[in-house]
Amino acid sequence: MTGKTVVVLGSGPIRIGQGIEFDYSCVHCVWALQEMGHRAVIVNNNPETVSTDFDTGDALYFEPVTLPDVLSVVAHEEADGVMVQFGGQTAINLAEGLAAAGAHVLGTPPEAIAAAEDRGQFDALLARLGVPRPPGRAVRSLDEARAAAEEVGYPVLVRPSFVLGGRAMEIVQGPADLEGFYREADAANPGQPVLVDQYIVGTEVEVDVVSDGVDTLVPGIMEHIDRAGIHSGDSMTVYPPVGLSREVEARVVEVACGIARALGVRGLMNVQFVVDGEGTVFVIEVNPRASRTVPYLSKVTGVPMVRLATRCALGESLASLGYGSGLWCSPEDGRTGYVATEAEILQGVRQAGLFAVKAPVFSFQKLGHVDPALGPEMKSTGEVLGVDFTYEAALYKALVASGVVFKPRGQVILTVADDDKPAAVAIGRRLHERGYPIGATGGTHDALAAAGVPSERLGKVQEGSPNLLERLFEGRVSLMVNTPGRAEQATREAARIRRACIETGVACVTSIDTARALADALDVFEYPSPACCLTLGEYLRPAPSHPPAEPADSIA
Amino acid sequence: MKKILVIGSGPIVIGQAAEFDYAGTQACKSLREEGYEVVLVNSNPATIMTDEETADRVYIEPLTVEFCERVIARERPDGLLPTLGGQTGLNLASQLAEQGILERYGVRLLGTQLDAIRKAEDRELFRALMREIKQPVPESWIVESDSELEALLDVVPYPCIVRPAYTLGGTGGGVVYSREELWETGRKGLKLSMRSQIMLERSLLGWKEVEYEVMRDGKGNCITVCNMENLDPMGVHTGDSIVVAPSQTLSDVEYHMLRNASLRIIEALKIEGGCNVQLAVNPDSFDYYVIEVNPRVSRSSALASKATGYPIARVAAKIAVGKTLEQIENAVTKTTKACFEPALDYVVVKIPRWPFDKFPGGDRRLSTQMKATGEVMAIDRTFEAALLKAVRGLEVKAKGLDSWHPQGEDSTNGDASDALRAALAQPTDERLWALAEALRRGWSVEEVNRVSRVDPWFLRKIQGIVRAGSPGHPRQDGDATEGSVYKMVDTCAGEFESFTPYFYATAESEDDAATVLERRPAAAVVAME
Repeated sequence: MTGKTVVVLGSGPIRIGQGIEFDYSCVHCVWALQEMGHRAVIVNNNPETVSTDFDTGDALYFEPVTLPDVLSVVAHEEADGVMVQFGGQTAINLAEGLAAAGAHVLGTPPEAIAAAEDRGQFDALLARLGVPRPPGRAVRSLDEARAAAEEVGYPVLVRPSFVLGGRAMEIVQGPADLEGFYREADAANPGQPVLVDQYIVGTEVEVDVVSDGVDTLVPGIMEHIDRAGIHSGDSMTVYPPVGLSREVEARVVEVACGIARALGVRGLMNVQFVVDGEGTVFVIEVNPRASRTVPYLSKVTGVPMVRLATRCALGESLASLGYGSGLWCSPEDGRTGYVATEAEILQGVRQAGLFAVKAPVFSFQKLGHVDPALGPEMKSTGEVLGVDFTYEAALYKALVASGVVFKPRGQVILTVADDDKPAAVAIGRRLHERGYPIGATGGTHDALAAAGVPSERLGKVQEGSPNLLERLFEGRVSLMVNTPGRAEQATREAARIRRACIETGVACVTSIDTARALADALDVFEYPSPACCLTLGEYLRPAPSHPPAEPADSIA
Repeated sequence: MKKILVIGSGPIVIGQAAEFDYAGTQACKSLREEGYEVVLVNSNPATIMTDEETADRVYIEPLTVEFCERVIARERPDGLLPTLGGQTGLNLASQLAEQGILERYGVRLLGTQLDAIRKAEDRELFRALMREIKQPVPESWIVESDSELEALLDVVPYPCIVRPAYTLGGTGGGVVYSREELWETGRKGLKLSMRSQIMLERSLLGWKEVEYEVMRDGKGNCITVCNMENLDPMGVHTGDSIVVAPSQTLSDVEYHMLRNASLRIIEALKIEGGCNVQLAVNPDSFDYYVIEVNPRVSRSSALASKATGYPIARVAAKIAVGKTLEQIENAVTKTTKACFEPALDYVVVKIPRWPFDKFPGGDRRLSTQMKATGEVMAIDRTFEAALLKAVRGLEVKAKGLDSWHPQGEDSTNGDASDALRAALAQPTDERLWALAEALRRGWSVEEVNRVSRVDPWFLRKIQGIVRAGSPGHPRQDGDATEGSVYKMVDTCAGEFESFTPYFYATAESEDDAATVLERRPAAAVVAME
């Protein structure tokens, strides 16, 4: 099949939650169509993008991405089909209307898109597959919301259905706060139900998959290294995962493949999971379209995800493209890349020879009166990537690239929840041995002292001098480790600490595992020469001897 | 010269967004067309420029001096193109030059040179240069005592801005309208300033804000790509303003006066590439002032490129490697050269997209600090149609200039509502709707102009839209094809034949696109390498 005219929908103006990533996907879709011998026509109204460069597509219609405008272009071009999965929520929202008006929606069919976004249908599908999701319900009144919250137990996650980027989404700790957040979620998308789900504390995991409707390729698994409950767009993530068991990885692949097949996905799909303390994998969200992680995942796995998705959307199979169902493992040590089955994952595979850490970047200093506390609503405007052969170096690069300023020999402040105290003591001991001064608040200080690790006792935010905010503003802090407990007081304090860290450019870590990695990375901060400086291709396809010694003309 | 290093703009933040991926991607393609090997550094993975298809050697590494030096040490590029990565890229290139790193590795800076960039960006150097070429900059005075202040009371123009030096967050400053106010605010400012110093500057609040996008090559050939006019008068950041291209309210005399000024400035700065000149124009006279110059590609140049079809970044990259404007092909017509100034037979409207839906508690007031995360652009044959098309594409609640109620409006207050008056006077993301609402309630154009300072021409157009009843978006009802044809953006208003299928819809009868589409071969295999 060649010579078809395909309309590719862009994602409109850049906003928080729908950024430049979708321009990347649209442009790659256009290139893939052209490579197949089709005519790619772009509809978009954002002047800042590559997709609206007049020589990107075979034709450019500089028009709003709304149903009537798109239908008009489809008619004018006598287009054979419309690609809706690369232009973010803006484009995918038009799928149903386009189909109803007789346009041919390519890739995942509109009914499948609706099934993924409709709570009732999606719950039924998961139940059929035997996949758990956090218990909860779609409700249409405050009374129903109260009943649902009591039934599943607080804390609950309250959010509107069918909205972008976690808008008006909140974690509600108790009945007193429910009404306000319910009203906010209801107002965000009037007429649509509000979702009330149990909030599960655990590790969040995310995948973007390519499916041809039968086979499904998982190019990589991303692990969030901030505590659960922070919007995926605002969370630091690492690829490949550093803290997941083989069983969890195999289960994530199994579930993602099962959902893609059951829905009949042809193209891209994003699935977000939370893994609780027992290792149970819950599905929290499914987006039957390209997500914001597609560009970075394509780059660090070497899998041309949008190209494969475009070909699948036009009817080709993954098998014919040289892939199949399972988890992609990058080429390494002279081996070529291959797709690992679940059985292979259970025996242990190495997804990649590199580590890639994605860190969010915020614009708070430009916006007055905005609370920089992170939660389920996305607030970042951009992202950076740190790539290296070790997790520590990748983490270091991501933080430096996102604007974190490291003060050599500065104080490391520890203020952690009770569950994390043993781990904090171990971190504190290592830091102390390496000569870092430590500051700690009440309970953490006592735990360190009991283990014989010296630290300066600091007050919490509302306590008297010296407290940790003072230390931050004095510019003497290298690193802030704050793992708040679940009490409301701790959540509020965490918000103030986070704000102060953003204002002062200090790295703020909210998960104890990341703290452990970062404590190791402190060495890299101080002596960065072991961190590599290589092209993406050299990280992806290293010579067998890698990680390499620095070249002779290096300035190390 | 074989190998060129390009520095990207890093993560997306407000004020530095996707436009630099567009510019950088174009530049990489343009340089490779000329046979150069391109090395790219950028920490932002969500970009086309960091694709292995776009550049020959891609480094996704932190944009710090240290990592850039390591890239330079490994790659040994012959040249560095610093003007494509926004302020981030430019600052980094300056640091590399100042620390002697470029010299040590024999890397030549391409395009606009650093001393030109310094002259454009350093306030005092820029003012000195403007005085040298007799271009007006807003007058300013440094005052360090009450007696100096007293001597200036009858000298400075009113309104006048008072800026105390070295106070936290500029406390104690403000706009003063009379000598009494200046005496009071000025003395207070002197007390508040830790160094007992204030600066007085002519206030241009309410003046028209106009921008020219200009190009210059190494031989000194200059053109203007287009000019743009802000619907919001001075006082709102260009990135937060509604922008119209070409300008709509300037007389021919004013247009050419400002065009000449822009060309003289780019000549004096010895820019080699693209440059953006911002000017303030007195709505009641022929007075103007030069406000600012951006000696690099910018958000405005991306908009100008899309508005005209003239690829500024592509041409700037070729100029940087020594080509002249008459040697560079116009990629749209393929028959004319880059030294032809584009001609527009349509109107372009840009409206910013703000993040206040995400931050309901955020401060919605607009001033000199940009707050928008993105923007939409619309092309049509009239200002009214382009404005409505842009609004429709914003993906906000309003689908047109619908009725709107200011916060805190007392409904018994009727037309003279103070809340509405305040909404006209104070620019916010909702001011366009406030303007329409005032005109809908029968306020006169003169009254709305007096309060908002928005030019009467724009106001009369908006009045026309609201009087026409439900704003004229003919295709709002889902009837897709009725009454719309497609016209071409061809850079030359139809004067030359053009081959690039870049279209916009309009409610007319003659479809230009049809002829272009017929010309293409039936199978249309336009494979791209």
